[in-house]
Amino acid sequence: MNAPEVAPVVKRLTQAQIARYADAADDHNPVHVDEAFARATPFGGTIAHGMLTLASIGEMMAAAFGERWLSEGKLRVRFRAPARPGDDVTAGATAQSPRDGSWVYSVECKNQRGELLISGTAEVPAGG
Amino acid sequence: MAVPARTIVFDLPQGHEFPKTSFTLSSAGLASYLAAVEDTNAIYRERGIAPPLAVAARAIRSLLDATELPAGTLHTGQEIESRRACPVDAPLTFSGRIAQRSLRAGLVISVIEFSIAAADGETLLTGRTTVLAPGAAS
Repeated sequence: MNAPEVAPVVKRLTQAQIARYADAADDHNPVHVDEAFARATPFGGTIAHGMLTLASIGEMMAAAFGERWLSEGKLRVRFRAPARPGDDVTAGATAQSPRDGSWVYSVECKNQRGELLISGTAEVPAGG
Repeated sequence: MAVPARTIVFDLPQGHEFPKTSFTLSSAGLASYLAAVEDTNAIYRERGIAPPLAVAARAIRSLLDATELPAGTLHTGQEIESRRACPVDAPLTFSGRIAQRSLRAGLVISVIEFSIAAADGETLLTGRTTVLAPGAAS
């Protein structure tokens, strides 16, 4: 059985959202929340936590597979570039050949300029 | 051996095991996380379970209770494997170790393997976090 389509997730990233995530994850690294500090780094401004950007991929897979994803899913990604406030981040999944009883997807996050922010694979046990 | 407070992660050798720590992802904490990532999926509230990435983020935070990531640290990779849904408002135990530590072109790369277990000892989730520090001590 072919892997089902997975609907993409699109979000506008804001500095306020980054601040909320910093509080929720208790990660206040200044590169995320201090504009003056971040401007002096090679990034030239604040960037989102990688795990915040990655959450869109988790949301996308949970929406598609529900508890099967939450209890048996596998995710392996590389952070390629940072997302920044004002970015429109699109999480997407492309089905690959099934493997060992699992549906396999290549997953990614891109910004509005088509720049690759995150890439990797996600697997979930095949089901009906 | 206990890790002194604020040890730099990149100074820890391959094979170093972090002290086990216990934590609870509360309903309020999960609500804050879901609001921050703008995930409105009702399954978490209805089933009393947490997104694996929320638990992983909490696990990574546990590392920072005893260690420090220096300024300039980059989170370059993340792996998560779920074995059972992670419950909310239940005690969880974090275990972690430095699985790999390497030097490359002036960069220190550390790979931290971790697992999250339920109160009954069953592993709920495993993961690998890769962090890189430019110009860190060798």
